Amino acid sequence: MNRPNPFTGSSGKKSTCLEMLHAILDGDASEEQQEYFREHMDECMPCYKSHELDIQIKQLIKSKCCGTHVPLDLVEKIRRQMNSIT
Amino acid sequence: MEETPRAKYTEKEKVEVFNNEFLPHINSMYNFGHRLTLDEDDAKDLVQDTYLKAFRFIESFQKGTNAKAWLFRILKNSFINDYRKKSKEPSKVDYQEVESYYNSDDVHHQITTDLRVESLQDMIGDEISNALNSLDVDFRTVIILCDLEGFKYDEMAKILDIPIGTVRSRLHRARNLLKDKLSVYAEKMGYKNP
Ligand SMILES: [Zn+2]
Repeated sequence: MNRPNPFTGSSGKKSTCLEMLHAILDGDASEEQQEYFREHMDECMPCYKSHELDIQIKQLIKSKCCGTHVPLDLVEKIRRQMNSIT
Repeated sequence: MEETPRAKYTEKEKVEVFNNEFLPHINSMYNFGHRLTLDEDDAKDLVQDTYLKAFRFIESFQKGTNAKAWLFRILKNSFINDYRKKSKEPSKVDYQEVESYYNSDDVHHQITTDLRVESLQDMIGDEISNALNSLDVDFRTVIILCDLEGFKYDEMAKILDIPIGTVRSRLHRARNLLKDKLSVYAEKMGYKNP
């Protein structure tokens, strides 16, 4: 599997596993890079394990730290103050 | 500010922009404010200030631009100006250290954390939320923007007024710190590190 590494920067320096992991996780990887990384994980156990863990954490953060609702009276309060501006 | 070209909105249009472009983000904004201040009343004040400010400058907002990123930026700046100044404590983030992160020999250690997926699955309580809240506010912020709100590097750079490279390295440091916190919880829960 000797496809060119699409993570290679303009400097020609190859990205480390860690840099690839981050680009993938942060949603900063192109389709081509994602495809490359999927294949890379078959050959690199640390990336495979780390990616699994990262995704789990990201999903947990989303499910545990979102979903708060703004207190209802706040929207009304903001509207009242808006009316006094105009 | 008077010099900049502005959209001419009628009063009715202003309210429409406010309702359609700004208000849909209010729960995210409140969550962001709450996680920055760790206080419900402060969060309410921050959200209110942000929305009133956005309304006051609504004519500088052009339809079709990213309202959410603009609102997050206003809220973050209000937080820095109104809340952070009150605490005399300087930011704990060592930017020098952040920038040299990739040059360290520590990369292999970073990738092989002792945290395991199995231990995460048992974290059903507030461990995740507490771990996030315990991070320094600069680190907390980038995790919220990326993982909760899905902002991209360039959007985060605009919201935070920092270069994209700094966004990237700060985010990665934040993730590692979060993993460290979670490892501590995992250990307390009886998961032995290998
Ligand atoms: Zn790898």
